[in-house]
Amino acid sequence: MSTPNALVTPGPAADPADAAGQVAPRPSRRRGKPRTGGIPPLRGLLPLVVLLALWQLFGAEASPYFPRPSSWVDGVQRLQDNGELIPALGATTRSLLVALTIATLVGSVIGIAVGASRTIDRMLGPTLEFFRSTPSSAMVPIAVLVLGFTDSMKTSVTVIAALWPILLNARASMRELNPTYLDVAAMLHMSLARRIRTIILPGVLSAILLGIRVAAPITLIVTLLVEIVTGIPGLGALLSRAQQNYQSAQVYGLLVLIGLLALLVNAVVAGIESWVLRYRPPS
Amino acid sequence: MTSSTVSHGSTEAEPLAFECANLSVDVPADKQSRRLLDDLTFSIRQGEIISVIGTSGAGKTTLMRVLGGLMPVTPDSTALAAGEPIKGPPPRVLMVFQDYANSLLPWRTVKKNVALGLETTLRGRELDERIDEALSLVGLQHRAGEYPWKLSGGMQQRVQIARALALRPACLLMDEPFGALDAMTKSGLQDELLRLQEQTGATIVFITHDVEEAIYLGDRVIVLGGIPGRIEHILDVDLPRPRDQITTRENPEFLRLRHAAYESVLSSEQGSAAGGAGAGTGDR
Amino acid sequence: MTTTAASPEAGAQEALPSRPRRGAGLLRHVNLPGIAFLAVLVVLWELVVRGGLLDFQFLPAPTEVLDGAQSLIEGGELWSAVLHTALVAVGGWILASTLGAVVGIALGLSPALWRWTASSIELLRSFPSITFVPLAVLLLGFSYKMELVVVIYASQWPVLVNTMDGVRGVSPGLRDVTRTLGMSRLRSLRTVILPAAASKMLVGLRLGLNLSLILAVAAEIVGNPQGLGYELVFEQQALQPGRMFAYFIAIGLLGMLLNALFQLAVRWLMPGVIAATDRKG
Repeated sequence: MSTPNALVTPGPAADPADAAGQVAPRPSRRRGKPRTGGIPPLRGLLPLVVLLALWQLFGAEASPYFPRPSSWVDGVQRLQDNGELIPALGATTRSLLVALTIATLVGSVIGIAVGASRTIDRMLGPTLEFFRSTPSSAMVPIAVLVLGFTDSMKTSVTVIAALWPILLNARASMRELNPTYLDVAAMLHMSLARRIRTIILPGVLSAILLGIRVAAPITLIVTLLVEIVTGIPGLGALLSRAQQNYQSAQVYGLLVLIGLLALLVNAVVAGIESWVLRYRPPS
Repeated sequence: MTSSTVSHGSTEAEPLAFECANLSVDVPADKQSRRLLDDLTFSIRQGEIISVIGTSGAGKTTLMRVLGGLMPVTPDSTALAAGEPIKGPPPRVLMVFQDYANSLLPWRTVKKNVALGLETTLRGRELDERIDEALSLVGLQHRAGEYPWKLSGGMQQRVQIARALALRPACLLMDEPFGALDAMTKSGLQDELLRLQEQTGATIVFITHDVEEAIYLGDRVIVLGGIPGRIEHILDVDLPRPRDQITTRENPEFLRLRHAAYESVLSSEQGSAAGGAGAGTGDR
Repeated sequence: MTTTAASPEAGAQEALPSRPRRGAGLLRHVNLPGIAFLAVLVVLWELVVRGGLLDFQFLPAPTEVLDGAQSLIEGGELWSAVLHTALVAVGGWILASTLGAVVGIALGLSPALWRWTASSIELLRSFPSITFVPLAVLLLGFSYKMELVVVIYASQWPVLVNTMDGVRGVSPGLRDVTRTLGMSRLRSLRTVILPAAASKMLVGLRLGLNLSLILAVAAEIVGNPQGLGYELVFEQQALQPGRMFAYFIAIGLLGMLLNALFQLAVRWLMPGVIAATDRKG
């Protein structure tokens, strides 16, 4: 099947605000027990469980550096009690969704444009490459200076960091359009509109969806990064503040919470991936 | 060894499926142009099965693309399909590509793939019936709802054939359609193809590098050779129909043709190996 | 959840046409349209800011940025900042890669070890590294050590995971070969398994490198008063947009440079592998 080779598909919830994107040959579908891929056996969680248990047993309740896991819950509970937790969660999630939407639109448009036209590709090449390889963390101070400590600044930085997987995928799907498809289209006397609708669009759309799959974790990460670095409302801001106030239990607790949010985001997009790829063979 | 006797097929009154004279194909390459096919002259009657064999690089696929309207010819060439000059895919001429994996749309089920050429003109029940008919012809009606990746190579090839058949073409151009398949699947498909042709009366131009397949299937065999490609021979296949995998292949005439075909191919191979515009030793 | 990830630059490589065009000559190697576009952008930027069209108080014109850069270079601050960040990023990456590779190989070779740890790794790995920065500051304060620890923590994940997957993914066919030839563990590792896993490992290494720069800068912004990230924020707070943008561009260039050097190193040390790295995972 002609899957675009350079498709960016999810790698490791590759954390990095490094939207540089992981390009995979074939996305995997979970089936039975393949040699690589698939969900690793649950017993692998044992080391973590053991670690937490030992920590709980031997840790001090009020240690400044390594408070016990049970105290983490209290730490977070305090935020819930004073009504800050939910709004922060809401702010982060909202930011994530808005940024992802904009990144999808912008990334798709530019990606299709550079994919379709070699000239545009060459033209925009160095500029795009510069932005792609600049760490998103570095963009924050710039954005702050130019745009101020605003939500739109947060969104802008996140969008710039996260649009790459989408852009690259859209581009790849246009570039790697199978010539045989075009022969088939000619042979069947397809009009341009039909050609676009039945051959080009489905390929591009699925590529973009896969790009979203990779971009989503990135939007979360960069949103958090901006919140941590600037204190703009959100979970990251709470985390940063907890650290500044030496509330170590709260720090750990928030860390776990954020981790769970990350897992949720990953699960949702993994679901999207499976659905998009239902017509593709497992790797 | 050309012949003018009508073997399999239609009466003289109908227009020729294809008629080519002095057909040449040039492609741009670096500073000049490269000639892929040189001065081919032949004709194909409706309802004929023509096999095309030849050495690699001799231009078999190019020839097929010319007949399919996907490749332009030089201005002084004559290439007619059903009497009209070929300027793009001729009506009712369909191709079955060698790269079957990449000719089916992976995001469409088998059924929707077959529907590709029909969905603009047919709807609903009529469309479904046509699709069923085509899939039955190739024996895949029970796989209609699956995605292509689940099918084996031979099945994918059959889906491609079904897609073409659903459109009831006058002519099928097939480029090494059975090339990547194992022997058993291959012979099964060969017979299926012959049966289909018998039923539908379509003209078939069939490219293969399997000499025996070419003779088994064809009414005539065109041997291309040399670089640029030229017609080395056109062999008449005077074997009885319906063909049979065992008895036909043991027929002395089959063996004689096989001998002649191999000789032709091999000599043209030596010809080009010896440097060039491999001129065949046969008649045109 | 396979971790195959190939070169992020795969997309970029495609940007340059690889097939010679007719009559193109030397020009085809130089991306004229790209440079031209960039030049136009810069000129536009200058005009727009000078002309007061874009009213951002702190958006500097390119000429201001150049001035800023010049003063930084003359004052020596630029180089020391670049040096610091580069050293931490690259140094941390080397340490992280060694750690990640060793653990990854161990887990890749031993199915039992893998079974008992893989889920934990997957879980931990999905926690965004950036969220560990405040924790690191809590534990280690504003220091060089904090920055290094953050970099190492973050960049060893892709190396570990990709190495692990790469080694695990070596086809059974190849393993059979090592067995029939009676190879020792060490020899089979060196001559068959590692080369086979190389393309995936390289991907992990590359991701790790990118990550290390991102986190080094982030850590500098948040908590270590040294390096490009720190200087970037310093100039931001000092309301010096020209100098700030100069630092920003320096960071971007550093990123591109590191990536380019990585590609070069791979090409030089392992010529056959590049194609696999760029195209697959």
